[in-house]
Amino acid sequence: MNLAEGVQIVSLGVLAFLMLATSLGVVLLDNIVYSAFLLGGVFISISGLYILLNAGFVAAAQILIYVGAVNVLILFGIMLVNKRQDFTPVRNAWLGKAATAIVCFGLFALLSTMVLATAWPISSGPIAGDAALVEIGKHFFSDYLLPFELASVLLLMALIGAIVLARREFLPEEMVDSTDEVLTLPERRRELTSTPRQ
Amino acid sequence: MDFANLSAQLNAGAILPEGIVIITLLVTLVWDLIVGRSSTKVTPYVAIVGLLIATGTLFLQWDTTEPISFLGSFNGDAISLIFRGIIAISAAVTIPISIRYVEQSGTSLAEFITILLTATVGGMFLSGADELVMIFVSLETLSISSYLLTGYMKRDPRSNEAALKYLLIGAASSAIFLYGISLLYGLSGGETRLSAITASIISNGLDESLGLVIALVFVIAGIAFKIAAVPFHQWTPDVYEGSPTPVVAFLSVGSKAAGFALAVRLLVSAFPLVSDQWRFVLTALAILSMVLGNVVALAQTSMKRLLAYSSIAQAGFLMIGLIVGTDAGYSSMVFYLMIYLFMNLGGFACVILFTLRTGTDEINEYSGLYQKDPLLTLALSICLLSLGGIPPLAGFFGKIYLFWAGWQAGAYGLVLIGLITSVISIYYYIRVVKTMVVKEPQEMSEAVANYPEIQWNLTGMRPLQVSIVVALVFTSLAGVLANPLFNLATGSVSKTPMLQATEPMTPVVSQAPEQLPMPTVESVDL
Repeated sequence: MNLAEGVQIVSLGVLAFLMLATSLGVVLLDNIVYSAFLLGGVFISISGLYILLNAGFVAAAQILIYVGAVNVLILFGIMLVNKRQDFTPVRNAWLGKAATAIVCFGLFALLSTMVLATAWPISSGPIAGDAALVEIGKHFFSDYLLPFELASVLLLMALIGAIVLARREFLPEEMVDSTDEVLTLPERRRELTSTPRQ
Repeated sequence: MDFANLSAQLNAGAILPEGIVIITLLVTLVWDLIVGRSSTKVTPYVAIVGLLIATGTLFLQWDTTEPISFLGSFNGDAISLIFRGIIAISAAVTIPISIRYVEQSGTSLAEFITILLTATVGGMFLSGADELVMIFVSLETLSISSYLLTGYMKRDPRSNEAALKYLLIGAASSAIFLYGISLLYGLSGGETRLSAITASIISNGLDESLGLVIALVFVIAGIAFKIAAVPFHQWTPDVYEGSPTPVVAFLSVGSKAAGFALAVRLLVSAFPLVSDQWRFVLTALAILSMVLGNVVALAQTSMKRLLAYSSIAQAGFLMIGLIVGTDAGYSSMVFYLMIYLFMNLGGFACVILFTLRTGTDEINEYSGLYQKDPLLTLALSICLLSLGGIPPLAGFFGKIYLFWAGWQAGAYGLVLIGLITSVISIYYYIRVVKTMVVKEPQEMSEAVANYPEIQWNLTGMRPLQVSIVVALVFTSLAGVLANPLFNLATGSVSKTPMLQATEPMTPVVSQAPEQLPMPTVESVDL
């Protein structure tokens, strides 16, 4: 074993330990803010694994998208909601937890048996390394062109849907008795069609 | 690879119908942006015309010789054409029944139509997707727009609850499905095209591996969620009850048809090595869906929940055609879907109309409706009786064809359970009809007693009336004049290379559809 292999094995061990520890923390800790920050830790350790696998672009994308966008959004969500509410303890909660643990361990055992028992066909082609970006670009504009283009429709619709869900609607009964109109933005009234019951 | 060379290889004409729907979507959106709220007078009709043009171009591609396009990402073969047509028409029928509903709820119509059209595009692409990445992206396009539509009435807490439930369960099932197809990618050594996966798995010597079975189970979990088969159905009643009724109409037909298209393509072309296993799993799901859907529907008091359980049961019936795997099986499934489209959408249109006029969807409140609104009573009765499979109506012929195909292929147990449960289903459909028709005037419910005067000239009522009448006519006549539909269904199967290459379980019985032997008429005719 030369130095490079040793470094790789040690970093694999460190990354795997970090990933397991942070993900257990996400699930087991009670405070949701800690969980959200630890989730960022999970994403960063996964991107470390990608770097070990010579997939630098995927690692960068992982950090940019998951840590930079998804996780920050989750934190914003938690801070904006800002609701502290203690859960009332459920009686016999351990029963549900035990059942969940058994199912999870069973699934884990099944999947790890499958992973170990299968002789996975491993690509013998040369490792793309830094040229991966070019390869991904070529794929996007040849055989994965259609899903790439469809994703743009998906994003457009997600944008519209987010606006629909987030925009303020005019509520007639609130408008009547709302006193603090200083802080509200003026909104045009949506004309309701006359219902036949009126 | 230079540009001219590439664009010649793409064969982009195969996705022309989807292109038309996308252009319609953009026109709807931009027109609403320019004109403002008065655009609602035009946009729904633009959307309907766009969807009908797309359906027309699907017909023009019926005899296409080059179905593969985008270097194997998309396969526009005959079976995909028929499923894409079903999805496009279901959206085209959903829009007219939703205009009044959306207007009356005070939400904006243009965004509703845009999201609905995106869901349609997702479903249409899913029907033809022939590659794992494409399948997942189109599945997500369909799912995410469905979540948004479910939560569209955001002032209604039930709609919010339905959307949240649908989102959480849907995201979990998508994740399981994605894990399943990632196993498929690994087992085939990095192959994503469905047609190449099997050959690649065999050449890697993994055709007996545990991984393939696990991939199959995970993929079936994802598909069963989309078609709402038991035991992946828990979301259905709550989501159907809470979400806006036009959305439910689309989910129960368009989204379900897309799920079946995905099931046919993925199971037949990527899992032929474990075909006995997937047939076994689907048989279990079909039996559970038929029994549980029909039995639980008996106890429902809300019309939307009743239709939710009924749609679970109908998914069970449809799965019979997929399980037997003969030509007749597939074409009976397609045929039943085409009929189911109109009878189910007709039923939902009637429920929407009743809700708009009275504000309730409890079954008890329908009592005595006959005296106040004969058209609504007639249309709802015909659609429900057709769903139950009462003889002269379209649903009867669809069911007979399905059961006949199952019987021919030797799936006796499935067919018997189907027959027994459809007799059960007749009871709860007829209960609604009886409530509406038979009651004496003094037993009329409060909602019906205060029934508003019928005004068809209000905004959005005329399209609703037109779609009810269209569904009524189609449901009454499609069974008797079924020949064009039969030819479409059988043609779509016989023209699809994917379905012809697989070994059917029994020799294909070719027979003129008019002279169907009907060994089971007596037992359905109870």
